[in-house]
Amino acid sequence: MKIFKSEKDLSAIFLVVLLILSCGIFMSLKIKTDNISREKIPGSSIIYIPSGQYLKYATFGNSSLLADLIYIWAIQYYSDYTIPDMYEYLDHIFSIINELDPSYLDPYDVGAVIAAYEAGDLDLALKILDRGLERNPEQWLFPYLAGHYAQMINKDHKLAQEYYKKAMDIEGVPPIVRRLYADAIFKSMDYKRALQTWLEIYETAKDERVKKIASNHLYNIKATIDIKKINEAIEKFKERYGRYPMELSQLVRAGFLDSLPKDLDGKEYIYNSRTGEVKTPIIPWKR
Amino acid sequence: MTTVLKIENLHKSFKLGFLLKKTNILKGISLSVEQGEVFGYLGPNGAGKTTTIKCILGLIFPEEGKIEIFGHPHLSPKAKERTGFLPENPYFYDHLTASEFLDYYSQLFLIKKEEKEEKIKSLLRLVDLEGSADLQLRKFSRGMLQRIGMAQALLNDPSLVFLDEPLGGLDPLGRKEIRDIIVRLKDEGKTVFLSSHILQDIEMICNRVAIIVNGEIINQGALQDLISEKILFTEVILSGVGEKELEGLGEYFSGHGDRTLLKVIKEENVAKVLQLVQSSKGKVHSLIPRTETLEDLFVEIVKQR
Amino acid sequence: MKIKAIALNTFKEAIRDRILYLLLFFAAVCIIFSRLLALLTVGDRVKIIKDVGLTSLSLFGALMAILMGTGLVFKEIDKKTIYTIISKPIHRYQFLLGKFFGLVLTLFIMLLLMSFIFLALVFFHTFTIEWEMFVAILFIFFELCLITSVALLFSCFSTPILSSIFSLAFYLIGHTAWGLETLIKKIPPGLGKTLAQTLYHFLPDLENFNFKTEIVQHLDIPSEAFLYSILYGIFYTLFVLIIAVLVFRKRDFI
Repeated sequence: MKIFKSEKDLSAIFLVVLLILSCGIFMSLKIKTDNISREKIPGSSIIYIPSGQYLKYATFGNSSLLADLIYIWAIQYYSDYTIPDMYEYLDHIFSIINELDPSYLDPYDVGAVIAAYEAGDLDLALKILDRGLERNPEQWLFPYLAGHYAQMINKDHKLAQEYYKKAMDIEGVPPIVRRLYADAIFKSMDYKRALQTWLEIYETAKDERVKKIASNHLYNIKATIDIKKINEAIEKFKERYGRYPMELSQLVRAGFLDSLPKDLDGKEYIYNSRTGEVKTPIIPWKR
Repeated sequence: MTTVLKIENLHKSFKLGFLLKKTNILKGISLSVEQGEVFGYLGPNGAGKTTTIKCILGLIFPEEGKIEIFGHPHLSPKAKERTGFLPENPYFYDHLTASEFLDYYSQLFLIKKEEKEEKIKSLLRLVDLEGSADLQLRKFSRGMLQRIGMAQALLNDPSLVFLDEPLGGLDPLGRKEIRDIIVRLKDEGKTVFLSSHILQDIEMICNRVAIIVNGEIINQGALQDLISEKILFTEVILSGVGEKELEGLGEYFSGHGDRTLLKVIKEENVAKVLQLVQSSKGKVHSLIPRTETLEDLFVEIVKQR
Repeated sequence: MKIKAIALNTFKEAIRDRILYLLLFFAAVCIIFSRLLALLTVGDRVKIIKDVGLTSLSLFGALMAILMGTGLVFKEIDKKTIYTIISKPIHRYQFLLGKFFGLVLTLFIMLLLMSFIFLALVFFHTFTIEWEMFVAILFIFFELCLITSVALLFSCFSTPILSSIFSLAFYLIGHTAWGLETLIKKIPPGLGKTLAQTLYHFLPDLENFNFKTEIVQHLDIPSEAFLYSILYGIFYTLFVLIIAVLVFRKRDFI
């Protein structure tokens, strides 16, 4: 009996020691290899899948799970700013996610954010959001965001208008979108339509607050139109007489204006004869 | 006489079934085998014969007990190099031919190349498989497998050979062949440890036996010591004497035609029967005294348990 | 050497297994199918062929390793061919190592065959023999060796079906370890995080052997990456084999 135990024990101990040693070695090797930066990102072979459509067939009905996984991977990928050229495949990756699970809303949202703010690619952001709206027509959020990005990044108010209009047609959209729409029209300098739209909003306003906002906007638009007209007249005056008029009424008497426009409240515009500047008597938002 | 195999107080239990119930298989086995013996290891099915052999050969690890082969610990290379083993119902690698198989196994013994071929040939001759040297093992019959198994057990020219039920499933001719090989091994001075429950064969070739029942050795010793020489009864086949006259002398069975089989228990009655036949002018066809056989002993012992 | 004898016998037995050739057939189908797939891409066609080809080699190689490895020891115990081997003057670890090397040799041959088909197809497109592919294939081979050792380990105490499932799990865990890494970053520091990190370093990282993308894209690979990968493979395989030896030496062959 004793012979058994000690014989076995010796080699067993040796093996266990070797076991622990090799475990320690490979674990430290693992730590070392993690620190080696590789140009290839684990999991980035996704880039080489031709299209989400084909991938869908391969998943045997688990496409939404795969969409989730790829999305999660994408978030990590795009959180790591050390990766060079990371936006190269942004379109491709998110189109795969969207195609795998068209009704998964977050990826459209987030993909557009990354495209717009991090990659600076408005077209891609809009493309993603368009896709989102196409597959999910009840999501007013997508055209809303699209309008936002169009205005913020490219200052393309006309495009924003179109998007806000699309959003407005969707049920359940919050009323502010309509106001953004109207404001976009204003910013694209189509004052006539802007007035119309704000008037509509004013008239259909359900509470005092909205009415006030609408009225302020109407004030502002009128003021813009008026001040523009007045400025044109001042310019003509200057050309003719080589100096700014002393008062605005001079413009009327000299025939450059038919009548002196007043602000929406009936007050007169403030004029600085030295600089030729015309201002509203009150800041529109503080009415 | 040197002790070739010595087992002291061997214990082994298994945990069987889903609940891992502990079952004791070997409950303190002790035996010894001397050089040059043919040692028979007998017992009913499930007694622990194969388990004992597996413990000796290192296939199973006992909980308690000491096993020595040629005085060395049983698992040491020195012990293993001199033993050979033929398991029960042997099964070998299908795809190899007989000579390829023996060649492979000889590599496990580190037998030198020059000796190898000669050895394989002579072994195949011994087990009468020379003609099937290039036949794949998958095509071997049961008897042939048994014989090639015997061949691989003898590859290293072992001094101690373990045979687990070597005669199982063989036809009478096959059994005779194996018996002859065993006797031959004995003549060469080898020791054979034979486990079986075909008692007639054991009786024929073994010197000493041990009987194991339910994990315990019931009886151990030289065959002639265990079986008494006393005559149990005498079987007489005779003709020419009627049933009436034989009454009281023995058990009466009628045979073919006018032949009678009489089982005579008392020895003095045998003389009386003979006298009767002579006086009736009958004929004695055969007279066979039956001594106690191993089978009788065996059945007796097992019944007691 | 006794290990060599067992290895060669294992090899001879394994190479006859029809499963291998079935998988080889499927691998060939995949590789050739990549040709069709390449027609769908615009631009670099060969890249798709290389990607699909290398992935097929990796995948089918792993399947071969698992399907063969899980039966290796189990079959011997089940059919009792092991009795007459263990009873001979041979250490149990020699038996295990022999089985391991026999299967590794088989996989090597199979991988060579698949590589030949793969490179022939690539040659057909580019009219050059791309020797770099062999580097990727070499590391696929290292990965397969590790997988084989795992399959062998499970084969020592479990049925082929269960062993296959465990080995497959090992393979999947090995390729998704990076997921655990990202998860760990979100755990607040403390005992949980340390435990999770230890687990992360212990679990196999089969991506260490994955140089496919970089080689296909002709990206730079730091030479340390190669060295560490080989060492990692050697020591992890050693680790698994030692466990197998420890499990096997106490085993009762009922």
